[in-house]
Amino acid sequence: MHIQDVTRLVVDRPDEGLFSVHRDIFRDEQVFDLEMRHIFESTWVFLGLASQAPLPHDFFTGWVGRQPVVVSRDATGKLGCFINSCRHRGAVIAHTRAGNARYHVCHYHGWAYDSGGRCIDIKDQQAGCYPPGFDKADHNLIAVPRFGEYRGLLFASLGAGAPSLQEYLGETRPFLDLIVDQSEHGVELVPGSSSYIYRGNWKLQLENCVDLYHLTSAHPSFMKIVERRKSGESRHGLKALDFNDYRLPGVVRGSYTFKHGHAMVWGATAAPEVRPLYSDIDNLRRRVGDLRAQWMLATRNLTLFPNVQFAENASLQLRVMRPLAVDRTEMQIYCLAPVGEADAAREHRIRQYEDFFNSTGLATPDDTASYEDCQTGYRARHLDWQQGYQRGITALVQGPDKYAAELGSCPATSLSGHYDIQDETVFHAGYREWLRLMQAGFARDAGRGHEGRPGREAAVTAKTAAA
Amino acid sequence: MTAVPVVAAARELLAAGSEMLYREALYLDTQRWDEWLELFLPECEYWVPAWKSEHQPTSNPKRELSLIYYSTRGGLEDRVWRARSGKSAAASPLPRTHHVIGNVLLGEAGPERMQLMSAWTAHQYRTKIRETESLYGRYEHELVLREGAWRIAKKKILLLNDTMPAMVDFYSL
Repeated sequence: MHIQDVTRLVVDRPDEGLFSVHRDIFRDEQVFDLEMRHIFESTWVFLGLASQAPLPHDFFTGWVGRQPVVVSRDATGKLGCFINSCRHRGAVIAHTRAGNARYHVCHYHGWAYDSGGRCIDIKDQQAGCYPPGFDKADHNLIAVPRFGEYRGLLFASLGAGAPSLQEYLGETRPFLDLIVDQSEHGVELVPGSSSYIYRGNWKLQLENCVDLYHLTSAHPSFMKIVERRKSGESRHGLKALDFNDYRLPGVVRGSYTFKHGHAMVWGATAAPEVRPLYSDIDNLRRRVGDLRAQWMLATRNLTLFPNVQFAENASLQLRVMRPLAVDRTEMQIYCLAPVGEADAAREHRIRQYEDFFNSTGLATPDDTASYEDCQTGYRARHLDWQQGYQRGITALVQGPDKYAAELGSCPATSLSGHYDIQDETVFHAGYREWLRLMQAGFARDAGRGHEGRPGREAAVTAKTAAA
Repeated sequence: MTAVPVVAAARELLAAGSEMLYREALYLDTQRWDEWLELFLPECEYWVPAWKSEHQPTSNPKRELSLIYYSTRGGLEDRVWRARSGKSAAASPLPRTHHVIGNVLLGEAGPERMQLMSAWTAHQYRTKIRETESLYGRYEHELVLREGAWRIAKKKILLLNDTMPAMVDFYSL
């Protein structure tokens, strides 16, 4: 594959009213392999929360692209992120999702590492007749090149070329703060999580989180059930968010895109009393002010490109995407909650989460069923271009609107209006960043003559395509 | 001689309880969901815990996540309504499901209340994509005698393979 082959996959000319992506980005295995290298193994990806490993020697395992990693807190309390693979013969050395281990001893030949990743024992080394060079070599676990934290959110990057984490998160930070500041002690994962695998490309989930257009057609069963509960036709008493409220006059909904591919949608909440956070609203307002409290009660779905989503509408969900193949994606999902939340509010939050977000809930399966339908539809080889990125294009505003400005965020683009706009320009930023990272990856490969192509020739190719 | 009638009573309870489990499975698999709902008391508890770690399921639905938790039958009625509504992509078309229940043991039991433990396997054949998915785990039932019939007061479903297929609902558990 050459740089032209990926460049042609995104048509990005919103000034002419055009934006589209080619279906090969959802179905081509070569594209998928390049995404793993140039996106998931180059830019920042989300790993988890610092509170998943609160004490010395606590660890949890995860993935950066295709690489197994372990996040471990050492004896001094410092967090590190290491490739979860023994230096000897490669076996993973941390075997569980999480735990506490002063030492990780490889099950295979017994090499041992401490919680800071240092190799502290090579079994029977003295009698081993090793050459002098072996003794001098570094046998420690390999630290991922970049590892960073923003207010308890942990990210890693395998690429040297990524910007600083602060810069990468950029103007999404005021919106991340709206999550972290929901209690004075931050947010925590509710114990218990679940994971599911769908038969579809990872970008179907990437889009869905900020897709307002699908709500009424993909989730009418959920919406109707909420209506039935309100009217008493249903005997289930759970108070949940009624998405029909978005239709009320004066209720504003909008979307933002940010540098580096991030995107979000939001909507004012007409009936904030169904939100668990509202149960302590007076204290919340006192602590964070009226404006930020109102934003916390608004529904907000935020995607940080490429692998994490915070969905706050019914309850507050954290989703981490792990692409397995061009047509298979694993989702790890968690419920986030303010630390110290009162029992009644916590129970309400948990029930709302299970009702809407669980893969055994009443909404998520309808999304994933549609992803699978899309992936099947992509088999149609004579159909190449998607028509799903032009809705809203004439309402698009460059820079912040008044709502973002009030909060102190400066998104790249803004769009707001009434219920029916259901903007699709919110997807542009992700594909723009997708293409930028893919092109940067090609340029890097060209520089070092990757995959047997002479460096000079590939560099020329990249230059020509860029021109 | 006193042991004999006790054993006989236990056998009778086990037989009645097992029949209840098999009947429940039949109603689920044949989509006789009104009859399935009728097996449950209106104030029943229906609980599918999530997992906290490799070997520890969640144990407190008020402070920990479940895959499904209802403290009354209303939540199950919502799900039946949804599966039939034609408004859910995940249930259109529905999978064909097939439950097998075995290893049924009687726990604490009396004349009007019994606990049952069993093992279950369910296969769901996803009609749209023509693939089979399997789910399995353990059940704990608490049955009570009401007006001469055994009804389900509590059902706990422990799903062991919890990296799930994307679509799992009451009929596949």
